[in-house]
Amino acid sequence: MAAASNSAVKPAKKVCLFCCAETEALAQRIAAESDAIELRSIKWRTFDDGFPNLFIPNAHGIRGQHVAFLASFSSPAVIFEQLSVIYALPKLFISSFTLVLPFFPTGTSERMEDEGDVATAFTLARILSNIPTSKGGPTSLVTFDIHALQERFYFGDNILPCFESGIPLLKNRLQQLPDSDKISIAFPDDGAWKRFHKQLQHFPTIVCNKVRMGDQRIVRIKEGDAAGRHVVIVDDLVQSGGTLIECQKVLAAHGAAKISAYVTHGIFPKRSWQRFEHDNGGHPEKGLTYFWITDSCPHTVKEVKSKLPFEILSLSGSIAAALQI
Amino acid sequence: MENNNDMGELKSTNKKQVLLFYCVECEELARKVAAHSQLITLQSINWRSFDDGFPNLYINNAHDIRGQHVAFLASFSSPAVIFEQLSVIYSLPRLFVASFTLVLPFFPTGSFERMEEEGDVATAFTMARILSNIPISRGGPTSVVIYDIHALQERFYFGDHVLPLFETGIPLLKQRLHQLPDADKIVVAFPDDGAWKRFHKLLDHFPTVICTKVREGDKRIVRLKEGNPADCHVVIVDDLVQSGGTLIECQKVLLAHGAAKVSAYVTHGVFPKRSWERFTRKNDGSEKGFAYFWITDSCPHTVKAIENTAPFEVLSLAGSIADALQI
Repeated sequence: MAAASNSAVKPAKKVCLFCCAETEALAQRIAAESDAIELRSIKWRTFDDGFPNLFIPNAHGIRGQHVAFLASFSSPAVIFEQLSVIYALPKLFISSFTLVLPFFPTGTSERMEDEGDVATAFTLARILSNIPTSKGGPTSLVTFDIHALQERFYFGDNILPCFESGIPLLKNRLQQLPDSDKISIAFPDDGAWKRFHKQLQHFPTIVCNKVRMGDQRIVRIKEGDAAGRHVVIVDDLVQSGGTLIECQKVLAAHGAAKISAYVTHGIFPKRSWQRFEHDNGGHPEKGLTYFWITDSCPHTVKEVKSKLPFEILSLSGSIAAALQI
Repeated sequence: MENNNDMGELKSTNKKQVLLFYCVECEELARKVAAHSQLITLQSINWRSFDDGFPNLYINNAHDIRGQHVAFLASFSSPAVIFEQLSVIYSLPRLFVASFTLVLPFFPTGSFERMEEEGDVATAFTMARILSNIPISRGGPTSVVIYDIHALQERFYFGDHVLPLFETGIPLLKQRLHQLPDADKIVVAFPDDGAWKRFHKLLDHFPTVICTKVREGDKRIVRLKEGNPADCHVVIVDDLVQSGGTLIECQKVLLAHGAAKVSAYVTHGVFPKRSWERFTRKNDGSEKGFAYFWITDSCPHTVKAIENTAPFEVLSLAGSIADALQI
């Protein structure tokens, strides 16, 4: 009896979760994590001229509710239709609005070296910073492992970015492995080390870097020892996979017993995931033992779901928890 | 004496040099605009993509545009091309330009704004919101030039950090009509009250005919509401055409009421899914087609498709845009 009144546990807040077509599978998993999260639908149609014809059914029913939208900007073509919904929802007298955008794209291309470079990540941040406020104040934006740390500062004051990470999912998974005591974490460059080393400091680490030799750029091991270890290369995302493959070769050459990889975002444009083969219990230079990615990039998940060495670590639990903030 | 007059002229005309950037699909129109005035110079952007499909953009000679009046000619013909152009539009004002003007001849999504229910998502409003958030430049708010915006109330969708400039293609039509041999037999027809509201003031020296859609059971039929087309060359005027269904219905009614010829003018030939094909001349003599179908070059994909195809004629906005850039 006393326990109940002393209990500091807040009742979970009910959330109405909307999603786009490509995030439907992840949205269903999120809703399955908690009774407090209810899936809602949107009618996504197109006019003949290609512009969206959108309708939010039962819009009156979300008044006074906490509302979230699970977005995925996998290509520029799908941004406008989702944006239209994102700009419309906060104005429907809801009590709060959260935008979950697991992967913040265009982030990798922000090497503004010249005044002529156009920062598309900044354009996206600007567009999101202008989401109208709802009765609950500024929109919360949940995103995972944003590529460049300075991008956190791209957002204006009318949005509350919540920067989450997929690393806890990796740590969980690593603890389940039979050789979990033989694991070392390798960072492909200093950028990855900066981003992740604090979350992984109880593992021995290896840091690689790219060194210029004439015209070529060669991956070298800067610090750490791979010999006899199950080395897990950790980075925020993968595109063509070139960097990971170079790291894999160097680690194998330095005696790694097994090599795996983790990235939060498996972008893999043009099916570049095909370059990654399973080691089949054999040599680490031939293949990876595991390649973990999260479900932030739904198109990739569809393609690699049942293909070794890939394993999907779902963000659903983490997102369900973030929706309670 | 002569010198003083020259100075006076310079002061009153206020002509400014403008650097004009443009999107890929607008290249032809941009060239025409630059050809209209020595004050307008074309500039270039490197439009590339990364493997993941996201834009990899570079504004050439970015330092040289400092202190200059800059404009961007955009075309949002589909949602897919919006983001890359937006990235440039959001970047240019911050390069220490003297002023920034966005020319968006056709403001899309405008025709679907019948917000009848609370669940309807107003995509035109989304677009206006995105444009209203263009950063200001040293010259103040960005000017946004739009031709014949579909719904008059959309002028109010824009926030205070942009200055919308609402232009019209009708003067181009009037000019063209005066060149016709039967210019004295022309009657202007409006397919509905909306078109009449939008355009009648600009065309009030022509006799007019107004059509209207009447419900008969399940069907909607076009009827003549006011005016008499008999023996005249009737020109149906509207801001845009999509499938063309409305125009065809109007033509039938006008011919049934004795019109000698029927032509059409729309500022924006949207024509999704090649619906312009319904209007091409079929030489089997079975139906009476349109005598002329005038569109402007606001929709570059259509212009390319209907080039040299009767009854289409393109009236270029180039001169009008060149003038608007001097504002």
